[in-house]
Amino acid sequence: MRGYKHFQFVAGMAIVVLMVGLFNSGKARAADVGNCLLCHKYPGLSRIGENGKFRLFYVNESVFMNSVHAKVKCEGCHTDIKKIPHDPAKKVDCLIECHIIEPSSEQKFSHQEVATFLSKSVHAKVDKYQRPKKYAEDMPYCLDCHDNPLYRPLSFYKRVRPGISEMALGRCRVCHKKDEFIFRFYNHVTTRLHPIRNPKNIAEMCGRCHDDPKIVARHKLDSKAVYSYGETFHGKAASYLDERIPDCLDCHVNRGRSVHQMLSYKDPMSITYKTNKAAICRNIECHPNATPKLANYKVHMEFDAEHSPKEYYFKLFFISLTGGTLLPLMGIMFLDLFRRLFPNITIRITRRK
Amino acid sequence: MIKMKKGKKYFFRSTANQRIQHVILATCVIVLVLTGMPLKFHDAAWAPYLYSLFGGIKVAPIVHKTFGCILISLFIYHLIYLARNIYVGQISPLRKKKEFSAGKLIKLLATQPFMPNGKDLKDVVQLFKYLFFLTDRKPQGDEFTWKNKFDYWAPFWGVPVLGLSGLIMWNKEFATRFLPGEIINFALIAHSDEALLAALFLFIWHWYNVHFKTSVFPMGTVFMTGYLSEKLMVEDHYEYYVNVMKQAGLEHEILPPHGSPGREPAQERADDNSQTHESMGGRRPA
Repeated sequence: MRGYKHFQFVAGMAIVVLMVGLFNSGKARAADVGNCLLCHKYPGLSRIGENGKFRLFYVNESVFMNSVHAKVKCEGCHTDIKKIPHDPAKKVDCLIECHIIEPSSEQKFSHQEVATFLSKSVHAKVDKYQRPKKYAEDMPYCLDCHDNPLYRPLSFYKRVRPGISEMALGRCRVCHKKDEFIFRFYNHVTTRLHPIRNPKNIAEMCGRCHDDPKIVARHKLDSKAVYSYGETFHGKAASYLDERIPDCLDCHVNRGRSVHQMLSYKDPMSITYKTNKAAICRNIECHPNATPKLANYKVHMEFDAEHSPKEYYFKLFFISLTGGTLLPLMGIMFLDLFRRLFPNITIRITRRK
Repeated sequence: MIKMKKGKKYFFRSTANQRIQHVILATCVIVLVLTGMPLKFHDAAWAPYLYSLFGGIKVAPIVHKTFGCILISLFIYHLIYLARNIYVGQISPLRKKKEFSAGKLIKLLATQPFMPNGKDLKDVVQLFKYLFFLTDRKPQGDEFTWKNKFDYWAPFWGVPVLGLSGLIMWNKEFATRFLPGEIINFALIAHSDEALLAALFLFIWHWYNVHFKTSVFPMGTVFMTGYLSEKLMVEDHYEYYVNVMKQAGLEHEILPPHGSPGREPAQERADDNSQTHESMGGRRPA
């Protein structure tokens, strides 16, 4: 009886697999040649991990197919999985060579170059003498900043707008016959012509470390950088999802460099170095007519007497002015309201003779 | 100075020009607060909803700057208006009589109706006596009480601070040609904190005194009509009220000061509210 039920389950699954095979789009089949979605398509696929944390293994196929890794096969990253059902998978190493060919070099693609960039940046785990930095474990790993981002295509055909330009695609189809290739190439290029995340997301991402009081204290950082950015007009506009506003990366990454090559403000090669930072504001997309003085604006200002005494006492003056004006006036107001309840009562003070 | 409407007296307070200036000022302040506070308190739950009413981050800053410009223009106009009135009404006659001097100018400026004086100080002391039940007599205010003067001088401090700091932040590239970059930090602090002070001052203190106190509630109408009811004149400007009544030859009709035995307060309030909502078109006895 038990064997019959097992047979029923296997037969049922086979029918499901067959139906999926018959009715699924060709696009999905192309990405999932290992048939991983046979199990991972179920939204409830999850378990409690060994560390007691809930882990979800569901893969939303339509979302994944619109992500920048859609072309990468599952086993391209999960290299330790050789059979189905598989054992618990190892953590993905983002620096491995995956199963796609980089078209310009025709070599297997890898993010290894990013690691090289990162090792020379402010976020490196080692110092310039290749010695491990103090608290190197605080330095970011790929997944601390990156998820699997979705494509954000742009149309430039008549005006700049989000999405794909059908008119542009018409031009692509003259030479390229496969729509799948055209869509992917179009998405690949136009997604990279503007930030993949909005400034609010970028700031929140950086804030996970740069606003963490423990990390700020351990690394002796000057301020809670994202909090102070949030107090500027740029930060406030970012919180309202303005995409035109500069975020952390716009000011902290040298022009034409990758974000992975970000340098410390103490590094003379950094755009944030005191003698270079005028170029940040004067950038053609920001304040091209600005003088170098504009860059002396304190973006990351902490309102305390130690960091910014002049600004601190200036603010204290306005706080005192507000309190000193409003509290007495509101006191008069409430006394007036109370007095109106008893308009004819007076305390008579009689002196003893 | 006194207008009659259905047998009730109404006292002149402000010209049409002054009322228009006040309406422009009030409109600008309200719009500037509504488009500025969501930026100051951008983390608050209500902020995105309020901001989106004004077009969100793409439009609201333009609305804010537009009304800021109107307010600065109004302030400049008011300075010119004030200077012209003082010159035409007071300085020019002195010059014609060849009695004008620097000393007289200072004295003349110091005795303008809106300048704080010793009477204001006495009224404040009297007010505290009244509020702490030490007397049943309210201060007998002049044409403009210390509260009126406070309300008038607050924008005189606030508009230049807000206007100047706003212009610096708006034109940061131009401003930092002459000033250090840190000026933007100071401008932001001044603009943001002074705006909060101004908003709280106007929406709590000013509105309480002109709209929400029990003798005026739910709304004072003098900012539209330019005339104040006799009851409110007695309550707030008794000294001036007596002078105006005497000048009009109505000594026998002068009401006793606030707090004196007379009509029931509730009845007075009901009468007053019904009158102040009526249009002004009565005859002027004096």
